[in-house]
Amino acid sequence: MPDVLAKNLPYLLSGAVMTLWLSLAVVSLSTALGFIIGTLGAVGGRTTRAFVTAYIFILRGIPVLVVMFLGYYAFPAFGYRANAYVAVGAAQIVYAGAFVAEIVRSAILSVPAGQIAAARGLGMPRAKILMHVVFPQAVRLAIPPLLNTSLTTIKQTSYASVVGAWELTYAAREVVERTLAAFQIFLGVMAIYFCICYPLSALSRWCEGRFVVAH
Amino acid sequence: MRAATRMDYAAQVTSFLLGQMPKLLAGFAVTLTVAVAAIPLALAFGMLLLAPRLSGRGLIRGAVQAYIEVMRGTPLLLQIYLIYFGLPLIGLFPSEFTCGVVGIALQHGAFLCELYRGAIESVSQRQWEAGRAIGMTRLAVFRYAILPQALMKVLGPLGNQLIVLIKDTSLVSAIGVMELTLTGKMVIERSAASFEIFVAVALFYLIVTAAVGAGFRLAEQRYAGRL
Amino acid sequence: MIEVVQLTKSFGELRVLDGISFGVDKAEVVVVLGPSGSGKSTLLRCVSFLEPYDGGEIRIDGELVGYRMSGRGQRVPRSEAENARHRQQVGMVFQSFNLFPHKTALENVMMGPLHARGQTKAEALEIGLSLLAKVDLSDKANEYPIRLSGGQQQRVAIARALAMRPKVMLFDEVTSALDPELVGEVLIVIRELAREGMTMIIVTHEIPFARDVADRIIFMDKGLIVEEGAPGQVLMAPASQRLQLFLRRYQGDYLAT
Repeated sequence: MPDVLAKNLPYLLSGAVMTLWLSLAVVSLSTALGFIIGTLGAVGGRTTRAFVTAYIFILRGIPVLVVMFLGYYAFPAFGYRANAYVAVGAAQIVYAGAFVAEIVRSAILSVPAGQIAAARGLGMPRAKILMHVVFPQAVRLAIPPLLNTSLTTIKQTSYASVVGAWELTYAAREVVERTLAAFQIFLGVMAIYFCICYPLSALSRWCEGRFVVAH
Repeated sequence: MRAATRMDYAAQVTSFLLGQMPKLLAGFAVTLTVAVAAIPLALAFGMLLLAPRLSGRGLIRGAVQAYIEVMRGTPLLLQIYLIYFGLPLIGLFPSEFTCGVVGIALQHGAFLCELYRGAIESVSQRQWEAGRAIGMTRLAVFRYAILPQALMKVLGPLGNQLIVLIKDTSLVSAIGVMELTLTGKMVIERSAASFEIFVAVALFYLIVTAAVGAGFRLAEQRYAGRL
Repeated sequence: MIEVVQLTKSFGELRVLDGISFGVDKAEVVVVLGPSGSGKSTLLRCVSFLEPYDGGEIRIDGELVGYRMSGRGQRVPRSEAENARHRQQVGMVFQSFNLFPHKTALENVMMGPLHARGQTKAEALEIGLSLLAKVDLSDKANEYPIRLSGGQQQRVAIARALAMRPKVMLFDEVTSALDPELVGEVLIVIRELAREGMTMIIVTHEIPFARDVADRIIFMDKGLIVEEGAPGQVLMAPASQRLQLFLRRYQGDYLAT
């Protein structure tokens, strides 16, 4: 392994650990948030659905970096002294949550109406239809795009470095600005990201092949 | 806040934002320039990758596939850093703008290639048969039967990908290109401004992405009726 | 005009054509009957060379289809251009119509003359209009396939195949995907073609139509020709048990095994 990379590897790897923590937190919380909002957007009342549509539309139309900056500067503006991770993390959760919400909403709405009709014909109450007929199929439909979104979210944790939060990309840039070994360090860090992301990417591709739901 | 203070606050913010408008517009112009430069490059690069991806010999096809996987698995920011910090080491000194545009085009080109491939493969095999059955060569079938249909089918995903590209232009702020996001950050740091600036910044982006989205949806609808 | 000699074809382990031999004279109409999986579709696709075949020969007007004999007497695949030219002479109509959805009915018919034969737009237009008139769809010339009924789409498909002025027309169960009330309009067109002297091989399930239009009927099962003969003889007095069974099912005894 190239010498500068080898010497700084421990530092970079601790950055990678931070990236992993961030990713874990953001992906899990945004998925949870998105599921709730997405479901509301599919089965809620007219005002609820309108709000959800607006939320999704707005957040999907602006860059995640801008949302991160908003979070970073909004907290102190409202009098809270949050650290960079909380501010940026919360922002990313809200952002990614919009994408998850859209996926969940459209998955729920794509469950064939015939199935719901059949369940009603059997006399199932609405809540049970949701739980036993709609959700299982919606989840199956949602998994491939959700895997893709999680992949994107993990990569986007690197943008936190632009706002000032320390993680792998921030660490990489620090090292390069100190040592000027751009190729070694950045390629090495790309390899680290690739190791983190490739399993997810491969899984997502495999799922796209497999989870074609037969109607 | 009481009603009066709320109105004062609103008036304050609005007049401040209006005062900053020239700077924001300048940044917005740079954002658009980056996008307008990167989009054709990305579209063309994706096209370039397509032939080897679909039918090249094993080694070339493997190389393209590997490239696409790497683009899928690493953040764009790193790739931009690699170009910006790395090229000077080998004697090339492109501007920040160029580095950003090239970085964006290299990544999005890979994604666009997959998009094109998906669209072509989604055209039914039977269309190939129909064309060959009336005596068209494979090339003719592709050109007159498959490609037009693929183009109609690619509009939706293409629109989405281009919106992502436009949003990704915000990343070039990290290497000092004075586009909209960096402008917002500068305004906050140089004046006593607060996060409202970024609300204005967000609005600018929203206008562009909404317009592009609407445009593509209109185009999609025109052909949706046939396919 | 068409000579098929000991034709064999396998898909992997599955032997789909097991030594088929028959001939078709010019202006003759041959109807091929048989249960699904008997190889009828594959046979047509081999004649059109949409599928290569493994053994035996298919000749049209003496020329070997899909292959040529090399100097050393070995069989060598023909080039794509040669095969394309061959397919111009063999018109094929499919069960699922396969119209080009992004083109109007007229444009569909014009596709072959324009892009396979390289004729001018004016020539192609004239051919297109006259053929659409022939299949009674002049008023739908500028409609897209999605707005046409199944029967109308199939008639456009027939016109599209005819636009290449083929020597022979192949019909692969062209009414099987149609609603019953739309079947007649397609059969009328086919019968008219037969009356005009077009050489045809028709794969169909429409037995009364077969009796009406065929000069000869071939019954296939499991990749072999089981019976062959004049319609009256084959359909009224089937010799083989398999054909008897097949006919019983199609004549209403749907539980026959």
